[in-house]
Amino acid sequence: MNDKNSQKIVDFISNWARKHSIWVLAYGTGCGAIEIPPTMTSRYDAERLGVRGAATPRQADVLLITGYLTTKSLKRVIRVYEQMQDPKYVIGFGSCTINGGMYYDSYNTINALDRYIPVDVYINGCMPRPEAVLSGFGKLQQLIAEGKATGATKYKENLEWYRANQKKVIPNWVMPEYNW
Amino acid sequence: MKEIKANIINRIKANFSDAKEKNDFAYNRLDFTVQKETIPSILFYLKDEMGFIHLSHISCVDWIEEGEFELVFILWSPEEKIKVFVKTRIDRENPVMDNIDMIWRQANTYERELREMYGIQFTGLVAPDEFILEDWQGPPPMRRDFDTEAYADETFFNRPGREDAQDVREAITKRSGEDVPDFAKKYSR
Amino acid sequence: MQKNTQDKMREKATTLYFGPQHPGITGNMMIRLKVEGDTIVKATTEVGYLHRGFEKLQEKRNWLQSFTVLCRFCVPEPDPVEESYARAVELLEGREVPERAKYIRVMMLELARMGSYMLWYGGQNAALGLYTMGQWSVGDRNYILDLFEELTGGRVYHMYIWPGGVRRDLPEGFTDKVLRTMDYFEKRLKDYDDLMFSSSIFQKRTKGVAVIPKEKAVEWGVVGPVLRGSGIHSDIRIDDPYEVYDKLDFIVPTEEGGDIWSRALVRRQEVRQSIRIIRQVIDKMPKGEYYNQIPNPQKWALPKGDAYARTEAVRGEVGMYIVSDGSIHPRRTHFRGAAYVHGITLLENLLVGENIADVSAIMNSLGTCPPEIER
Repeated sequence: MNDKNSQKIVDFISNWARKHSIWVLAYGTGCGAIEIPPTMTSRYDAERLGVRGAATPRQADVLLITGYLTTKSLKRVIRVYEQMQDPKYVIGFGSCTINGGMYYDSYNTINALDRYIPVDVYINGCMPRPEAVLSGFGKLQQLIAEGKATGATKYKENLEWYRANQKKVIPNWVMPEYNW
Repeated sequence: MKEIKANIINRIKANFSDAKEKNDFAYNRLDFTVQKETIPSILFYLKDEMGFIHLSHISCVDWIEEGEFELVFILWSPEEKIKVFVKTRIDRENPVMDNIDMIWRQANTYERELREMYGIQFTGLVAPDEFILEDWQGPPPMRRDFDTEAYADETFFNRPGREDAQDVREAITKRSGEDVPDFAKKYSR
Repeated sequence: MQKNTQDKMREKATTLYFGPQHPGITGNMMIRLKVEGDTIVKATTEVGYLHRGFEKLQEKRNWLQSFTVLCRFCVPEPDPVEESYARAVELLEGREVPERAKYIRVMMLELARMGSYMLWYGGQNAALGLYTMGQWSVGDRNYILDLFEELTGGRVYHMYIWPGGVRRDLPEGFTDKVLRTMDYFEKRLKDYDDLMFSSSIFQKRTKGVAVIPKEKAVEWGVVGPVLRGSGIHSDIRIDDPYEVYDKLDFIVPTEEGGDIWSRALVRRQEVRQSIRIIRQVIDKMPKGEYYNQIPNPQKWALPKGDAYARTEAVRGEVGMYIVSDGSIHPRRTHFRGAAYVHGITLLENLLVGENIADVSAIMNSLGTCPPEIER
């Protein structure tokens, strides 16, 4: 049996299954979370794409960072992200995750999310419309089908760099080791 | 309205000798400035004897040029339908104030925030140390000598801007070939 | 020292974190619960996950730039915050607002009130396990957001009510669209009654839970529909009227009882009163100017002094205190939301003695919204 070809077929089927059932963790981290209920309910129904809510990190596939993150919230987000199982993705929602947005000079919010956890797709806007959210999910589905949504492996390989950035911002570091 | 205001002023001045009033507002508002030691007794009097049962707000202003903090208590009376502002000044180097959460229970939350954001010590306040900020090692952030932009530049990584630093109007003109409309021409960059 | 039975019971208590990541919590906050079996013994609210330091940011922006920042104070309902700021600046400067602008402001506030009540319908029922109501009401809220988008350009954050009036005049045919939307909502409210208020599950789970007694309500600082659910007739639109509320005809519903069921009945009546107010506003709206032009914003300085303006938002009393020292930057702007009192001292005392299963329903009925608490 030719391993390379059968690996390709297995990858194709598993990516097809993964992209049609993306479960979003129930965590509204910032002000962008007000456009998530309209996306999930009757007019802009996201469940026809397979997107539904999940209650705990162990059951979720994608972590939707809706807006700005304070340092207090970043510590919990890192802990939740490390509890999620592979394959996992992160979507950065709103312009505050890209360059700080309108809170660029605040003493409590971080400016660039990419330095602390790996991000796969950015959706810009303040705040993004539900149609923009659905197109962001479509882009994530495309990346999964091509096999390019590799934020989780990037995190595992560059763990020391991410940890150095995180510890610079969070002074009281009492967190479990990440070794899975 | 004028009789109600005059009545309140007379009663307060009869009982508290250091209260100075300010009565030149066209709407239903009255100001009193007192020394900081009188604050608990004047608030008790306003709440129990004069019907100002609703505490609307407690705030603090930093007058750094004069070296003082100014505390403001805003009360509302549903019977007479009038607001009373009680103001006092405390020293900025060593700010100490009496605790009033035995009068209104919700004053506990306001005092916790002022303690964290300005560093004002309320004697007798029973509350956990941290309220909003976690593991904060700098000075109290709402004081005017704390520069938030410098702190943010130094602690957080800023994504650099575009290297070509394009103007939006020029970028659209180059891409689609249409003219900049008139209403967009009057704003400089 | 001998330990009595209370101490021994408390030693068996475990600590649960009703934490920032939770499907039943209204926003991003944490409640630390000490439970003994299924009953709560002590509750502590912890906030701070959403603190941006708004008041510090506004010291570097001038009076008009800080208006663009502050609609994010209260995320589900940004219009009363803009209204409080605009009225406080007008009180401080003594600026007159044209009549037409006042009527338009009242219409915007009441539309925002209805939109926020639709979100409340979804949240309160999802806490009890009735998920259909959220699908209907949040879906219907999109019709109100369509109206906002046509008028102001944004679905959620409008930045429309500013000092001096409103930013744009109403376009052609807008009032007809508003009236058609109100007709649609009146039909839907009957469906909501059949699904939610006649359901015996909803009634059994909400009667007698988290009672706020009438004598203590004002002293504990309770405001808004929570206060009216305990039997006290108090509403800023009637006691301390602003804009044109003294010319409009509406009632303020009150219910005795003080539990979650009474508060739900109060909110049910207020949606109907909002529709009534909007119809009267459209009927009586005069023609005229919509804006009293402010001078060049880069050089606009307010006189020295301070002002405080309050508005009746969905959750209760929302107040904005501003201080000016004669320059183009604000000296101090301090915002107070209704959830500041409801979310911390009131919630911690109400939760003692309740079940864990009711925590989410109690939070939704008090209207705890964390962005208001910590700004």
